[in-house]
Amino acid sequence: MTRHGRKPDETTLTVWQVIELARHADRPYSLDYIRRLAPDFIELHGDRLSADDPALVGGVGTWHGRTTMFLGHQKGRSLKERVSRNWGMMHPEGYRKAIRLAHHAAKFGFPIVSLIDTPGAYPGAGAEERGIAAAIAEAIMEWFRIPVPIVAAVIGEGGSGGALGMGVADRVIMLENSIYSVASPEAAASIVWRDNARKVEAAEQLQLTSRDLLAMGVVEEVVTEPKGSAHADHDAAAAALDEALHRHLQPLLAQPTAELLQHRYERFRYIDSLIHAEPQFGPKI
Amino acid sequence: MSALAKASSELRIAGSKLPVIPLPTNCPGCGVALDLETMRKHNYVCPDCGHHFRLGADAWIALVADRGSWQERWGDVRSHDLLNWKVPKPYQEVVEHLLEEGLNEAVRTGTCTLAGRPIWLAAFDFRFVGGTLSIVAGERLARGMEQAASSGLPYVLISASGGARMQEGVLALMQLAKVNAALGRLHAAGVPYFSVLTDPTFGGTAASLALLGDVNIAEPGAAIGFTGPRVIKQATYADLPPGFQSAEFQLAHGQVDLVLPRTELRRLLAHLLEMYP
Repeated sequence: MTRHGRKPDETTLTVWQVIELARHADRPYSLDYIRRLAPDFIELHGDRLSADDPALVGGVGTWHGRTTMFLGHQKGRSLKERVSRNWGMMHPEGYRKAIRLAHHAAKFGFPIVSLIDTPGAYPGAGAEERGIAAAIAEAIMEWFRIPVPIVAAVIGEGGSGGALGMGVADRVIMLENSIYSVASPEAAASIVWRDNARKVEAAEQLQLTSRDLLAMGVVEEVVTEPKGSAHADHDAAAAALDEALHRHLQPLLAQPTAELLQHRYERFRYIDSLIHAEPQFGPKI
Repeated sequence: MSALAKASSELRIAGSKLPVIPLPTNCPGCGVALDLETMRKHNYVCPDCGHHFRLGADAWIALVADRGSWQERWGDVRSHDLLNWKVPKPYQEVVEHLLEEGLNEAVRTGTCTLAGRPIWLAAFDFRFVGGTLSIVAGERLARGMEQAASSGLPYVLISASGGARMQEGVLALMQLAKVNAALGRLHAAGVPYFSVLTDPTFGGTAASLALLGDVNIAEPGAAIGFTGPRVIKQATYADLPPGFQSAEFQLAHGQVDLVLPRTELRRLLAHLLEMYP
């Protein structure tokens, strides 16, 4: 249920149509949102080790009167930009930049907004050579120690560990026509069938739409998109996202740090609460 | 030399006799004819070429734990077909069939002693849906880590995994966060964590607990990485060099501390446990 009247489950779209909307070429990307939320946004670059990953943008801006750290996967709009942004697929340097900026935010007490929109971490040889697995692993572990409020939103594609590496937060919300999955439908088809042409079947089984995730308790809210989906009206989509993120951030700002971190721990530690709720999962500790 | 160091210098290469595992007639590494009893006594490492055969969780427990010391925990926690997954094979049937074969999920965990020192041990089992990280696997790992963090017992992990389990969807992905949250507490508590990476360790398992050991130990020739070579080739049309993502490659790229034959593992772990009390 969203705060804007229409229930997200009233949609008549097929799963694959939702995926096409999540990947729509005109869909607003992180910078489209960040520049509307914080027009004074200053981008900060680099992991301070070796490189800057253009697939992840990060920086500070004033949002509702408060300096806020914004992070987001950035896909490109033109072909040239898509190539330079690597289609929003991060390399290890991106996760290291994210954690650097998270510590930066923690130093100054800035809350963090993380926007997720990636098919996954980059599946290439260079990423492997520079330790993509360990970079994601370190990031996931480190987010639990960042002592400022973090709100995350899946705005398009939430693909696999590449998304989760930016998705450990105190609240996680999703735009209505976004997806969040253990693997992209193509990758899942390739793993389960050894044939990525079975992507539609895989997508239908994965339960990756926003309302599936809300039902599973993985996200706190589904944000209704404007009529015709987010790409039809970037301003309205940004206004809806702004309102929802801000509303989720408010109670977090008042929380003592120890409590904030304990709740973040519990949010993920017991995220599959079914394991406790259903007897066949065995005894609780 | 302390009594413990003396004991470790006499330490057998396995805590108890390893179970029988199916072997090919000839070694895929060097072609030599394999003798089951010889292989069994040699931790299923080819005495001629050093080829390491994959072991299940039962064999790993026999190898690492002192005889009679293993106490399994949460073995009754069962997986559940949350997504009602039907094709190409119904997930429920796959899991039931594996349980009937005597396998108990992709991760087994418990306490034991190694050269007399109490530890927490968790071992992946690649035979159970490719050793994939599932809700049950994540739960067993996280609970063990939480208990190790509060009791101070060192934590030893043996990984062999294809990553997160597709058939449990996004909740399988969430296990990376669940386990790493608990792992963060283990590290914060100053508890030693030794991670042994075996063939293969990929995807969500590599991108969560497997590469975050205080000491990462890889088996020779083990394939270790995030994205598998088939998917890399599909996505990037790249020609991957020989040895790409091998244990030796990961050593050269700074991801593991040691590449160590399985016949020396128990002695090394005993020595580490002595040095990281």
